[in-house]
Amino acid sequence: MTAVVEARGLGKQYHRNWALADCTLSIPAGHVVGLVGPNGAGKTTLLNLATGMLAPTTGAIEVLGARPASGPAQLARVGYLAQDAPVYAGLSVADHLRLGAHLNPGWDGGLARGRIERLGLDPGQKAGSLSGGQRAQLALTLTIAKRPELLILDEPVSSLDPLARREFLQELMEAVADQDLSVVLSSHLISDLERVCDYLIVLVGSRVQVAGPVEELLATHHLLSGPRRDPATLPGGQHVVSASHTDVQTTLLVRTKDPILDPAWTVSEVGLEDLVLAYMSQAAAGGRRRNHLQEVPR
Amino acid sequence: MIWLTWRQFRLQAITAAAALAAFAILLAVTGPHLASLYSAAGIGTCHGGSCGQLASAFLSQLAGPYPTLYLLGVAVIILAPVVIGIFWGAPLIAHEFEARTHYLAWNQSVTRTRWLAVKLALPGLAALAVTEGLSLMQAWWAAPIGRAVGLGGTAGGIARASRFYPLVFATHGITPLGYAAFAFALGVTAGVLIRRTVPAMAVTLAIFAAVQLAMPLWIRPHLFPPVRTTTAIGSDISIAGGGPTANYTLTTFTLPGHPGAWILSSGAVNATGNPVSSFPFCTQAGLRSLSSTMTCLASHGIRVAVTYQPAGRYWAFEWTETAIFLALALALAGYGCWRLARRRS
Repeated sequence: MTAVVEARGLGKQYHRNWALADCTLSIPAGHVVGLVGPNGAGKTTLLNLATGMLAPTTGAIEVLGARPASGPAQLARVGYLAQDAPVYAGLSVADHLRLGAHLNPGWDGGLARGRIERLGLDPGQKAGSLSGGQRAQLALTLTIAKRPELLILDEPVSSLDPLARREFLQELMEAVADQDLSVVLSSHLISDLERVCDYLIVLVGSRVQVAGPVEELLATHHLLSGPRRDPATLPGGQHVVSASHTDVQTTLLVRTKDPILDPAWTVSEVGLEDLVLAYMSQAAAGGRRRNHLQEVPR
Repeated sequence: MIWLTWRQFRLQAITAAAALAAFAILLAVTGPHLASLYSAAGIGTCHGGSCGQLASAFLSQLAGPYPTLYLLGVAVIILAPVVIGIFWGAPLIAHEFEARTHYLAWNQSVTRTRWLAVKLALPGLAALAVTEGLSLMQAWWAAPIGRAVGLGGTAGGIARASRFYPLVFATHGITPLGYAAFAFALGVTAGVLIRRTVPAMAVTLAIFAAVQLAMPLWIRPHLFPPVRTTTAIGSDISIAGGGPTANYTLTTFTLPGHPGAWILSSGAVNATGNPVSSFPFCTQAGLRSLSSTMTCLASHGIRVAVTYQPAGRYWAFEWTETAIFLALALALAGYGCWRLARRRS
């Protein structure tokens, strides 16, 4: 499995605060990867490092096997939709397409015009007067029409209303299906990404808490409930992610490749959202005692 | 990249072109009449000493709109670079940071260095063209005044000023090019470093104003070693002082035989060449009329020591100062590029 993003000991320091510290991760190719973590986990910093918007303080990062933003060719291979989908407020929709055509040798003008037409955007309208959803769609069009191999999107839907959110993700998935793209999307809410991701990375406090194909994660995590019991007495192959107890009952989220054989447990499926929240709260409990990472300054 | 830069710069370019056109119309309407006044004064056919008198007569008859227009032109050329630095330079990159559009720009298939280079080049060249255009138009319009001053004509106000007078020096020749390039690069680099438009504008204004004050006051006079000489007491001279200490200072405004020289300092010296500031033999009874005081001083062997820059060095000064400002502009732009490429976002 080749990696689209490979980070080793990656860190970024702002003045005295580390926005990302000692981050090592590998994002596989050919997936729609959800990068999920709480605010301040370092997601935006990681993506800015991956697109060369930032230079790392420590460690190294390779994207598609090369240093980010190392030249025009590398820039052409990676599309980046930054948080809040910045566009030029004074330029029209058509101007943005012209911008894309002038600045990208691989520009697919037919694709861009077709998308704008389908979305019902008025080419003469100034981008500053577009709605949030339309602006995100315009920025996505620019990013897709340069025909990148890897598409990186930072919190692409967090500021959109539910309808715009669904339309945006639909458009994204169509593009992925048409163009054979690798995609990395970040969000602090897994519910945003649940329908589109087939690979998940949970990042908390610069650390990868869990990573893997969504189907595999769902198949290997189980919610166990039964009479009260010490989690330490579980079989060796079962790793406890979270545990909660009442006077008489214990509920555990465990990760295991083996089937659960103990008849004392009632075994139920776990949803992706509960799974992610369990990893986040586990990491947060440890993280509060460790280091405090700051939200990325813009 | 050129298309995007032009598209973003279009409005400013049109504004500048309109301002340039308005200035041109104003000067084109009034210029021919000024030139006809000059030829009517008969300076073109004068010989010897009469030229200075004719020139003076021409300058002192310039009433009505002409002195105002002259000063307006000078003011426009003085202000053009700083306006360009503030409104073209400072927002160029800072506004991209503020609107976060650098995320869009830097993720097209164009490197950041090329992006900045084109953004610097197009408005930068326009800044040079606009400022030098204004200066050339003003030079054409004011040519009769300049010729009259060059012939030794004197009158009140700015019209008495030689080409070295700071406001005249800074608005004619090639110095406006240097100022425009410097102000623009200063604004851009302030924007790169500060990343906010309004503070970058304020810093641009403060630094440019400080440099424009420091240059004529402390730097320009020393670009070339000045010439020292002593001369007989002439006519265009003043004496000031007196009081209990009976100390007087002698100041000359022109150097006889060296029209257009830039006089840096002057003072009285005695027959042996030592500076003197007390003349009891001529001032015992207080100052009489200026001419009789001067005659008295001259009869006691008092001369005037003058430190000056010869008029012939005008273009050397113009080239040197322009080169200094162009070098500063290049250094600032290079530093801005380097910061942008190195710091990354």
